[in-house]
Amino acid sequence: MRRRPGAWTSTLSAALCLALGAAALGAGGCSVKDGSGGASGSGSKEITFLVFETPNLTPQVWDANIRRVTSKHPDIKVKKLVAPTQDRTAYAKQLLTSGQFPDVMVAVSPAGFAESGNLYAWQPGELKDFTNPGNGAVGGKIYQLPANTQTIPVVYYNKSLFTKAGVTAPPRTYAEFLDACAKLKGKGITPLVVGGGHDALGPTWAGILGTEVYAKNPRWMHDRRADKVKFTDPAFVSGARKLADLAAKGYIDKRDLSRDYAATQQAFMDGKGAMYAMGNWFAAAADNPETKPTFEIGQFFWPSDDGKLVVPAFTGGGLLVSAKAKNLDAAKKFALGFQLDKTNLDTSTANDGLFPAIKGYTPPANAGPVFKTGYDLYQQGVRANAVVPAFGFEAGDDGMPAGVVEKWDSAAQDLVTGRRTPEQVARFLDGEWAKGS
Amino acid sequence: MSRGARTRRPVWPGLWHFLTFGAPGITVYVCFVLAPIVVSFGYSLTNYNPFGPPTRFVGLRNYRLLMQDPEFLLSLRVTTILTVIVVVVPNVLGLAIAVVLDRRGWFYNALRTVFFTPVVLSTVVVSIIWIRLMADDGLINQALRGLGVAGPPGWLSDPAYALYSLGIILSWQMLGFCVVVYLAGLQGVPQDLQEAAAIDGAGPVSRFRHITWPMLAPALTINTVVMLISAFKVYDHVQVITKGGPGTGTTATVAYNVIQTGFVANRQGYASAMAIVMLVIIAVACAVALKILQRREVQL
Repeated sequence: MRRRPGAWTSTLSAALCLALGAAALGAGGCSVKDGSGGASGSGSKEITFLVFETPNLTPQVWDANIRRVTSKHPDIKVKKLVAPTQDRTAYAKQLLTSGQFPDVMVAVSPAGFAESGNLYAWQPGELKDFTNPGNGAVGGKIYQLPANTQTIPVVYYNKSLFTKAGVTAPPRTYAEFLDACAKLKGKGITPLVVGGGHDALGPTWAGILGTEVYAKNPRWMHDRRADKVKFTDPAFVSGARKLADLAAKGYIDKRDLSRDYAATQQAFMDGKGAMYAMGNWFAAAADNPETKPTFEIGQFFWPSDDGKLVVPAFTGGGLLVSAKAKNLDAAKKFALGFQLDKTNLDTSTANDGLFPAIKGYTPPANAGPVFKTGYDLYQQGVRANAVVPAFGFEAGDDGMPAGVVEKWDSAAQDLVTGRRTPEQVARFLDGEWAKGS
Repeated sequence: MSRGARTRRPVWPGLWHFLTFGAPGITVYVCFVLAPIVVSFGYSLTNYNPFGPPTRFVGLRNYRLLMQDPEFLLSLRVTTILTVIVVVVPNVLGLAIAVVLDRRGWFYNALRTVFFTPVVLSTVVVSIIWIRLMADDGLINQALRGLGVAGPPGWLSDPAYALYSLGIILSWQMLGFCVVVYLAGLQGVPQDLQEAAAIDGAGPVSRFRHITWPMLAPALTINTVVMLISAFKVYDHVQVITKGGPGTGTTATVAYNVIQTGFVANRQGYASAMAIVMLVIIAVACAVALKILQRREVQL
């Protein structure tokens, strides 16, 4: 049988078209939604904006925040990209490597992106409205707007369980803290609620290391980068020993490591433990009429040995702009407009419990009681000059190299389960630091 | 007919035939399988870090470092244990269940569907279901406490149990696949052979050992190789359920380690070397398994 001339070439072409089509579909797999609120037209400048959604930061919240900015700048049209998980930094890496790096991103870690020239470095004049304009620098330059402050951790406690155990006041020294734990355990109450991940166990360890490491040397991480200190130094090992001891004494239940972040928060809300070391964003859930617990919540900062106030906090977490944005000026204008809008800031306090780090900002009068107490505690810390970095939650030059934070998290689990000694954990982290730097 | 008188088959029509039917598949295979492997191997010979210093050729340095990297060696051990569990448990249980389900009737058809359902479920869905079951205050421990067990194990939080818990979850999900393949094999066993053996006085155990089991050799080959490959490249269950923990690397498979090293620590040259080593191990393990199992098929 004779073949029709050109039949094989058309088959081959069709196969190639299919293959290329599949590749194009794969590359275009991100979620793109128009959040401009209708601003469009031939003169508009389009930018892409990467956000992430949580039960508090809903699509409606993002759309409303975006619309407030675009209504002031009708020439800007915004395409909202939604990260498929809360790990927006990993998603931003995927977008960068596939040639789709967003023009503006929120709460993405600048590490790596900045050094490789992908982020715009904000100029001092553009940061004049921020209270901590130098926070989160990478190589001395600011790539992420230092828009809000988070205290990590605050120790939230269940007042009724404290009363039941005979603990009459929040502990002020570490000895008092251990005494309270012993009383709670004696009454069959789990003293500390923890989970397994970075946000579920990390704040507890950040609290310990805030008092053991940063209270003595607030530039510890810079010194680690300069190889002047090591994880194997006594200060860090002492902090690691405290975490291991809390687990060994049964004040932290190692079986709780199977909980994720949401389940950990719920466990505290359900009264399954007396204390919950967490970032101040917990206030959003604690004040929400739909989710707030039935018991009254108290707060204190992780106690130091001598009772001196130590307030671990991180200021940063704002918007970043791609250095290669097609409409760079529009992207910058949008980022600053978004970050400085008073209503947007109020929204972030209500929905995410954040403390806006903007000059002259005051929280709304109707903020919830847990938020207000936390805010007042932080202000006391600022006045007492007690603010130190939040270990494991820093960014840029203040933080660990890429990949080391995850090892710090897993090392905390090793301490809780007793799989590694504090000394072994310290040696392990020094080894991982060497690999990552 | 003399040798010289034979007409030679024309070459070009055969080539057109090959190109028409083979080229699309080959093109896709080359573009999406072979080319990425070659590119990965190229990366594995560099210090490639998309966010780091300029990329330079480092030869076999990444491979030498891998052989001394305790984390990589631990992930190899974890993957090997998981692979053994996932090859053995679904095969043994799958065969037993297939023998029980090798009957006619709507009830057995319904049971086959039930056993196959986990195979088609999304890994994330399966993982979340099992997290809820195996968490410290999950259904399993609640049931154990109800039965009077004072301190039930931390299935996912205790390093001594977590890896085996993961093995159980993977086996549960893959069980249905093995059942279906063994059922297909059982239905290919000639009934007259079974009847002849029964007339000769062979009991059920003897018939299974001497007739059914040897004739299931092709099904065993398929199940073993598929389980081997599936277990060796497990990533998603680990990511959703344990994130490689509790602690450092207690459930981190090689595939999980590759993703963490490449896309979290950004050391993509080093991660590519891990991926190439993983590819070689899977290829060798599958080749050995196929050789052994197919030899058994030939002997039938």
